[in-house]
Amino acid sequence: MVRKEFSKLTTGMKVLWIIAIAGAIVMVYRWVFGLGAVTNLSDGYPWGWWIGFDILAGIALASGGFVMAGTVHLLGREKYHVFVRPAILTALLGYLLFIFGLMVDLGRPWNLYVAIYSWHHESPMFEVAWCVMMYTTVLILEFVPLVFERYSLTKLHNLWRRFVPWVIVIMVSMFTLAMTYSFWWMLIVFVILVTWEVLMMAGIMPRDKQMPILLIMAGVIFSTMHQSSLGSIFLLSEQFIHPLWYTPILPLLFLFSAIMVAPAMVTFESLLSGRVLKHTPKLDLLSDLSRWMPYFLVIYLLAKLGDLMVRGAVSHTLSFNTQAISWWLEMLIGVITPLVLYLTPKIRTSRSGLLWSSSLVVIGLIWNRLNVAVVGMIVAEWETYFPFWAEIFITIGIFAIGLIAFRWAMDNLPIMEHHEAPST
Amino acid sequence: MKAMLIDATRCIGCRACQVACKEWNERKAEPTTFFAGKGYQNPRDLSAETWTLITYNEVKTNGKFDWVFGKQQCFHCLVPGCATACPVAALVKLDSGPVVYDASICLGCRYCQLACPFKIPRFEWDKAIPEITKCTLCADRVEAGMEPSCSKVCPTDAIVFGDRNKLIAEAESRIASNPREYIHQVYGRDEAGGTCVMHLSNVPFGDIGFDTSIPMHALADNVAPAMKPIPYVIGGLGIVLGATSWIIHRRMEKDSTQNNGGSE
Repeated sequence: MVRKEFSKLTTGMKVLWIIAIAGAIVMVYRWVFGLGAVTNLSDGYPWGWWIGFDILAGIALASGGFVMAGTVHLLGREKYHVFVRPAILTALLGYLLFIFGLMVDLGRPWNLYVAIYSWHHESPMFEVAWCVMMYTTVLILEFVPLVFERYSLTKLHNLWRRFVPWVIVIMVSMFTLAMTYSFWWMLIVFVILVTWEVLMMAGIMPRDKQMPILLIMAGVIFSTMHQSSLGSIFLLSEQFIHPLWYTPILPLLFLFSAIMVAPAMVTFESLLSGRVLKHTPKLDLLSDLSRWMPYFLVIYLLAKLGDLMVRGAVSHTLSFNTQAISWWLEMLIGVITPLVLYLTPKIRTSRSGLLWSSSLVVIGLIWNRLNVAVVGMIVAEWETYFPFWAEIFITIGIFAIGLIAFRWAMDNLPIMEHHEAPST
Repeated sequence: MKAMLIDATRCIGCRACQVACKEWNERKAEPTTFFAGKGYQNPRDLSAETWTLITYNEVKTNGKFDWVFGKQQCFHCLVPGCATACPVAALVKLDSGPVVYDASICLGCRYCQLACPFKIPRFEWDKAIPEITKCTLCADRVEAGMEPSCSKVCPTDAIVFGDRNKLIAEAESRIASNPREYIHQVYGRDEAGGTCVMHLSNVPFGDIGFDTSIPMHALADNVAPAMKPIPYVIGGLGIVLGATSWIIHRRMEKDSTQNNGGSE
C-alpha cells in the first residue's frame, strides 16, 4: 500500500520523502543520545548552525506573512492580494517548522510550556517565546478561512468572523501584561483594541472584507516585537560578538532587514513555485512589488554603514580575517549587487532578473544571520565552532518536511485562487 | 548580601576546595590527563561535574618563576547576565547572594551560557535529559546560615566568606597595608556590575586565568534599552495601525461608491 503510494510520486517528491525520513532518524538519534552526539556545539559555543539558520534566518524569511497581510488588509494595496495566501501559508509552515526545530535544539524541549506561566519579562528570549506562541496562533487564525472555503464550512467561517477579534483582544492584552507586569499597560492596550472593534461593530469604522482588522494588526504587532527581539537576544553577548555585528541597534537592523526581505522572499517563492507547480506567476505584479526593494536596500545599507561609523568600527572591514571577508560577502551578495540589479529596469521586469535579484537578497539575509550567530561569535580559549554534518542534515530534513507540506497545501487548498469570503 | 574573597597570595594550591565542592555537591570524579602548559593543574577546565577549579600558573614574580593559583567558579554577579537571559527564570539571584538554578523549569536553551561574561555555566551535552550546572555558592548551606564548603575547608584562609561590604573593606585594607605585595585591584568588585566572588592577587589577573576584558557594567544594562519601549510600541502600533486602516478603508469605500454607483 505504502509502496504503491510512493511509486506514484514524482521523482522530486520521492527525494524529499527520503530526505525527510532520514532527517527524522537523525533527530531520534539526537533525542536518545543528547546534543553532543549530533553537534559540534560546546560550552564555549553553545549556539551554532541551528540558531543562525533555522531560527534567525528562518523566522526572518517568514516575515512575508505579516508584511503582505498588513500591506493588503491594513494599507489597502488590493493589487497584491494574490500574494497574501501563499505568504501566510509560508509563514505558518515556517513557524511550525521553527517550533519543530526548536524541539531539536532545546536541551529540555518538554519544558517549553513552562514559558506560559513562568514569566521573566527582562529576558528577550522570554519575549520571543511568547511572540512565537502568539504569532503562530495568529497565523493559524489567518489560515483557517482557506480550510473553511475549501470544505464550504460557512457556519464555522461566520463563527470565526465573530470571535477572532475578541480572541485577539485577549491575546494582545495578556501579552502586554506578561511583558510589563503592569495592569495599567494591559488596560491601555485592551481599551485601544476594544475601541476599534466597537467602532467597527457600530458601523462607524469600516471593516476589511476578508480579514478582521484586529487579527492583521496582531500579526504586525507580534512580528515587530519578535523580529526585533531576536536581535536584542545578542545584546547580552557583548564580549563574544565581533564589532562588525555587535551594535546596540541590532534589534532595529533585524526588524528592518526582516521587512526588507519580505518582497524578495515573496518574489522568489512565487517564481520558484510557479516553475514547479506549473502555474504562471504574475510577472508585472512582481516587478511592481520589486519597486520597493531599492529603497529598502539603500536605507539598510546606510543604516549598516552609519552604525559602523558611529561606533568607530569601520576599520574592522579592512582587516584580513574570516569575519571581515564574511562581512564583505554579506554586503556584496545581499545588499550591493541586488541594489544594482533592482535599479536596472531591464532586470526588474524580466523573470530571470527578478529571480536572481530576489534570491541574492534572501541569501544575503541568511548570510547576515549566520554572521551574527556563528561567524561573528568568537569565544576566546575555545576551539572555534564549525557545524557537524548531522546539524545541517537535520535542518535539511526539517526543510524537506516543510516542502512536502507546502506542496500538499498548494494541491489541496485554495491558495492561489482567491474567492470572496461569504458575507455574513 | 554574602560574598567570598579569595586571596591568591594565601593559596597554596592544595585543592581541598575542589574536593570539598565535589563532596558537598555530589559531583562525580572525572578521568583526567596531563596536558601541555599548565603543569599540575587538574582537571583542565570547569565542567558539568567540576564547579570549581584551582588554576596552576607559573608567573614571574620578583625576577623568579613562581606558582600563583587562581580559583575558577561562578562569580555570582549582583545582576547576573545568566539570570537576565533566562526566559523562564530558572536561574535566579537569591537575596543572600547565590545565583541558583532550577532544572525542573529549564528549557535547555543555553542562552545563559552566552550571556555569562565569565563563561561559567556548563551544559550536559551527552545526556538525553541534560541540565545546566554551575557552582551554587553552596546556596543550601548559605541559606542555613553556614559557609560554602570550599571556604570552610581552606586551610590557609585564602577563601573567606562573609558580608560583601565587609569583604570589600577587608580586601582594600589588605592592599593598603601591603601595597607592594598586591595588584591594586579587587577583581569582582566592579566587573560585570559587581560580583559576590572577589579576588586579590600579587600578579596581573590576566596571568592567572581571569578575563580582564569583562565589561564594568551589568549586562542587563545592554538589553534594558531594547526591552523598555515594548509597551509603548504595542500601544503605539495599536493606535497607528487601527487609524491607518480606518482612513484607508474609508477612502476605498468612497472610491468604490463613486465608481460603481453605490453597489459592488
